[in-house]
Amino acid sequence: MTELLKLSWQPQLQSPSLVVGWSGEGSTLGAKVTDYLNKKLGGQSFGEIEPTEFFPLAGVTIEDDLVQFPESKFYAFPKNDLVVLRSDPPSYDWYRFLTLILDIAETCQVKEILAIGGMVSLSAHTAPRQLLGTFNSPELKEALSSYNLDREMNYETPPGQRPTLNSFFLWVAKRRNIPGVSLWVPIPFYLLTVDDPRAEKRVLEFLNRRSDLGMDLTDLDEEIKKQNVKLARARESSPEIDEAIGRLESNLTLSPEENQKLIREIEKFLRGKGD
Amino acid sequence: MGIRLYIEPKLQKPDLVASWPGIGNIGLIAADTLRRQIGGEELGEIEPWDFFYPRRVIIKDGILTDLEFPSNKFYYQRLAKKDLILFIGEEQPIDGGRVYAEGKKAYQIANLVLDVAERFGCQRVYTSGAAVALTRHTLKPRVWAVTSSESLIKEVKSYENTVLMSEIEGRGDWGSISGLNGLLLGLARKRGFEAICLMGEIPDYLSGAPFPYPRASKSVLEVLTNLLGIQISYDALDDWAAQMDEIIGGIYEKLPPDIKEKIEQRENVVRAKPEMITDEDKEWIKKHIDELFKKGGRGDDRAS
Repeated sequence: MTELLKLSWQPQLQSPSLVVGWSGEGSTLGAKVTDYLNKKLGGQSFGEIEPTEFFPLAGVTIEDDLVQFPESKFYAFPKNDLVVLRSDPPSYDWYRFLTLILDIAETCQVKEILAIGGMVSLSAHTAPRQLLGTFNSPELKEALSSYNLDREMNYETPPGQRPTLNSFFLWVAKRRNIPGVSLWVPIPFYLLTVDDPRAEKRVLEFLNRRSDLGMDLTDLDEEIKKQNVKLARARESSPEIDEAIGRLESNLTLSPEENQKLIREIEKFLRGKGD
Repeated sequence: MGIRLYIEPKLQKPDLVASWPGIGNIGLIAADTLRRQIGGEELGEIEPWDFFYPRRVIIKDGILTDLEFPSNKFYYQRLAKKDLILFIGEEQPIDGGRVYAEGKKAYQIANLVLDVAERFGCQRVYTSGAAVALTRHTLKPRVWAVTSSESLIKEVKSYENTVLMSEIEGRGDWGSISGLNGLLLGLARKRGFEAICLMGEIPDYLSGAPFPYPRASKSVLEVLTNLLGIQISYDALDDWAAQMDEIIGGIYEKLPPDIKEKIEQRENVVRAKPEMITDEDKEWIKKHIDELFKKGGRGDDRAS
């Protein structure tokens, strides 16, 4: 271990999965899922990666009056034979950062990596949430064949864009012979910066089955219901919002300006400012 | 973190030409044109993952089959007068939104390049980049040079169309070269190589433009090929330069007459009477031209 890895204790685990959720990387999904696991199953923090080499640390950012500081924490769930990493995506030295995660994974004898990511969908929130998987190992792809998971994605990074951190992570893990899957849920673009409990539930259902976690997810149904009520209210109160979402439901696209406006309006409603 | 050599040819005291992207990609275009013209063979590469974020992922039927990184390759060729190693880096390892590489990563990658130079017995290292100058785009760019030793200064004075940085009008005897094209030079000196940096002139008002400046690359190449004792075809570079001239000329024509007049004076001023342009003038021109070129450049797809 290097001095950049701080382990407070060594959890006793058999052959755990490592769930990785980034706070950021385009959506709140990774952080929401790892927070849910921690809250529901009582994850115990056992280590962290020091931020000094990977984040600018030029002051702090403030969100909703709260100080934000980069964190990369590992949590153990000995009863469930599970490890969770909740981390800010590093700003520099990505390869070294990912290597440190895999050092911990090897120490914990992790059998597989389940990395969570949200991706932008141009569909309406009323469409079902898909779960897609991209793998670094054909064996893991085969092992997950009975799961309700789209496993046949074809993709190349378009010019001008960069691969996601999860893609980089899976590639590094493959070099260390650790199988991994990146789990993607296409999230309606106007829910990316707020929460999408349906996407959250979709991932948690997968994790529940894969790691035999036995979590009761009915509280998420309640959240989904509440959000649907708010979204319905937003549509009722604004013919423009209703029309825009209606067009998305009919598989039509909106102009970039209409997209931005919808994002702003929905954010207002979901954050309680549009009631 | 390391170097991967594909082959280990026996080379006779080769020179090294190394380049990374920079203003107008002047050095990079020069090095890459040289590689094409001499039929440079692939020699090896620097493993990129320690330095770069990947630039492309390929997923087929759900399996991540490939992750591509910016290329950092060495090439070689046995030339009649000199053996040559080329290093071409597609990106500088930049952290945290900086413009040029600096700090630990820059130091590490520059040392790896010099490790290869040392391994093959190189004695001399050339780097290349841009010299932001108070010139104009219709003038043939000169090549500014800096060296690692007094003895090389004497040699550089004999190069055609080349001036030492200290000889540039109004500069005085100091300057700096940002990023790896500069850092490599310093490290080469530290490690005992002869080192020369050849910088092609680019007008100050184009230095922030998002397009290449092949005219200056040609000037650099003319000096380099002379030193290496080879002749190459400039046809492709000339065609490219002509295309860029057309784009730059189109923008230039839209400038207000008083600004054009100030720039046009440079034809006479830069080389003969530097006192005719004051510092105040320089600031004024730079400020206004930057704004105008930004407006012109945005709508031109060929320029991006």
